[in-house]
Amino acid sequence: MTATTTPQGVGAIRAHALRRTFGEVVAVAEVDLDIPAGAVFGLLGPDGAGKSTLIRMLATVLRPDSGTAEVFGHSVTAERDQVTPRIGYMSQRFSMYPDLSVMENLEFFATVRGVGRADRRTRAKALLESMGLDEFTTRQAQFLSGGMKQKLMLATTLMHEPDLLLLDEPTTGVDPVSRREFWRILAGLHREGRTVLVATPYMDEAERCTQVAFLDRGRIQRSGSPDEIKAQVPGQLLEVSLPEPRAAMAVLADVPGVTSVHLLGDVVRVLWDADADPEAALTGALAAAGRSGRVREVAPDMETVFAYLAEASGAADEEQAS
Amino acid sequence: MSARRIRLLIWKEFTQLRRDPLLIRLLLVMPVLQLILFGYVVAVDIRNLATAVVDLDQTSTSRKLEAAFSGSGYFTITQTPATEDDLRPLLDRGTVKVALVIPEGTQDRLDRGETAPIGIIVDGSDSQISAVGSGYASQIIAQFNADRMTEQGVSVTAPGIDAQVRVMFNPTLDPVNTMIPGLIAAIMMISLMAIMSQAVVKERESGTLEQMFVTPIHATEYLIGKLTPYAALATAQMLLVAAGGLFWFRVPFNGNFWVVLVGLALFMLTCIGLGLLVSLVSRTRHQAQQAVMFIMIPTMVLSGFIFPIQSMPAIIQPLTNLIPLTWALEVLRGAFVKGSGFEALAVPMIVLAGFAVVIFGASIVATRRRIAE
Repeated sequence: MTATTTPQGVGAIRAHALRRTFGEVVAVAEVDLDIPAGAVFGLLGPDGAGKSTLIRMLATVLRPDSGTAEVFGHSVTAERDQVTPRIGYMSQRFSMYPDLSVMENLEFFATVRGVGRADRRTRAKALLESMGLDEFTTRQAQFLSGGMKQKLMLATTLMHEPDLLLLDEPTTGVDPVSRREFWRILAGLHREGRTVLVATPYMDEAERCTQVAFLDRGRIQRSGSPDEIKAQVPGQLLEVSLPEPRAAMAVLADVPGVTSVHLLGDVVRVLWDADADPEAALTGALAAAGRSGRVREVAPDMETVFAYLAEASGAADEEQAS
Repeated sequence: MSARRIRLLIWKEFTQLRRDPLLIRLLLVMPVLQLILFGYVVAVDIRNLATAVVDLDQTSTSRKLEAAFSGSGYFTITQTPATEDDLRPLLDRGTVKVALVIPEGTQDRLDRGETAPIGIIVDGSDSQISAVGSGYASQIIAQFNADRMTEQGVSVTAPGIDAQVRVMFNPTLDPVNTMIPGLIAAIMMISLMAIMSQAVVKERESGTLEQMFVTPIHATEYLIGKLTPYAALATAQMLLVAAGGLFWFRVPFNGNFWVVLVGLALFMLTCIGLGLLVSLVSRTRHQAQQAVMFIMIPTMVLSGFIFPIQSMPAIIQPLTNLIPLTWALEVLRGAFVKGSGFEALAVPMIVLAGFAVVIFGASIVATRRRIAE
């Protein structure tokens, strides 16, 4: 049941028309997913987009209202017992026993999953060392820091060496250093050939995924590799550096050819979709308004792409509504 | 079903219990405290009933009768008014709880071989004192008659003193004897309800319940692992109370061990079921605590644990049948005090079994469904 025996070519996750409602609220609506084995799949989306609901259904802890989902070819509803040994699920909330120690939590969940004593010992040692938790083995989980708690949960979900990891916002509320370290561990798992599905609200984390999907109001708006997603944004991205950037935004938005304007720190980011030379058009418009600024083209990042896509889908909804 | 996984769950539960020193202390102190409160306070109160004696006979017989009362330990003769009229204010003020009136000519009647009536007046404002007090009095007089007959070699059928009190239950009934078996059942109910009601809520609050779903643990294994440690703990508490009752308060155990065991086992299932149901309907531990209080108060008041059911208003009495503790008390008191067997206790046993099947069954089905959701 190690990663190396995972049959290549069989999808890690296949979902079709997956749907789940809570009363009147449609949390996940007709979601299709096809995640190949070995991928690091980023599930992006704002709070309340349905990321957790989707992951919980794939982790077999929540039943879908309709639709099907398979993990390594096994149904998450009808064949739970075939699915659960191969997955590691890390919920958004801290879900270890607060009054058990780091080692006791690791031991408990590994033993429950039938990991033998010798394996438990070697894996626990290796995991705790690689995560920098080896000094805290006897500390009760409730007394760990936020980042250490997340690492403990990840270590616990790795003790039975699952082929698929379902991680629900594992780095939310974790300091930047711990976040980087967490992704370093995930990169190692990716190299081992494991499949990772990770939900995250952080766009910089999306860059590290082999594939991403944007989830908004329960629907997948776009999916593909980060480069493919970026290519879906029409035009080129420009960064305008100037004093009082907030005030200049209105001027820039009125220039023909500009499709979107965003503030990022103290620069304005402009999406340009026209044949004309953007630099001349923008500096010209700024000069006409009595301002001056420096324009340079930048490679689109996920932050901008996400903001653009969210805006575009919002605009599409408004059109539909009117 | 895997015994290994169940053992693991039990180990986990005990480890968590050990880490909660306050809970452990409470669980061990509570039975002892209740044993002292219910056992000692009640016992002392009923042992030295303030008693008045109106001796209109002034003979050796009347003095012997007085000595029998004061020597019993249940009655302390504090007043000796000259006439029966003086008794009334003493009883009204509560100066005495019991009065003994020995009419003139009692010894003469007995000597002539007639029945000699004497009066025993008991303060009826306290149902427990009146019932127990008159019981003791009858017992003393019966003993007095028996002694007199053996002294004189008269046949057993010969008339003697006729006390004007009628008590339908065993006059040797000591309140501690009925209180201790009741306490065993009550403590089991309180502690099981209190802990079981927290069991599932706590895991849901900490998010560990969801983590359980992605392990091979089945709902049944989870439930067994959860219930066993607390059932064991409740058993330890019961043994503590039983030992305290039998060895410290010297409550006689006349009954059949198996009757007590079966009755307690059925009642234990009922309590576990009630606790689990509370745990299921509560979203937080605080809500669960409130729900337990909501169940415990009517249970304590209406079950006959503190107040005798016979002294409740007629419209309330049928309600007491709906309370499982009522039937558990009937089984335990019957078995401890009267030594009743399975046949005599068939009705309460069957009712208890009914409660156990319905409540425990419903809680298991509901918990499984909730966990599987």
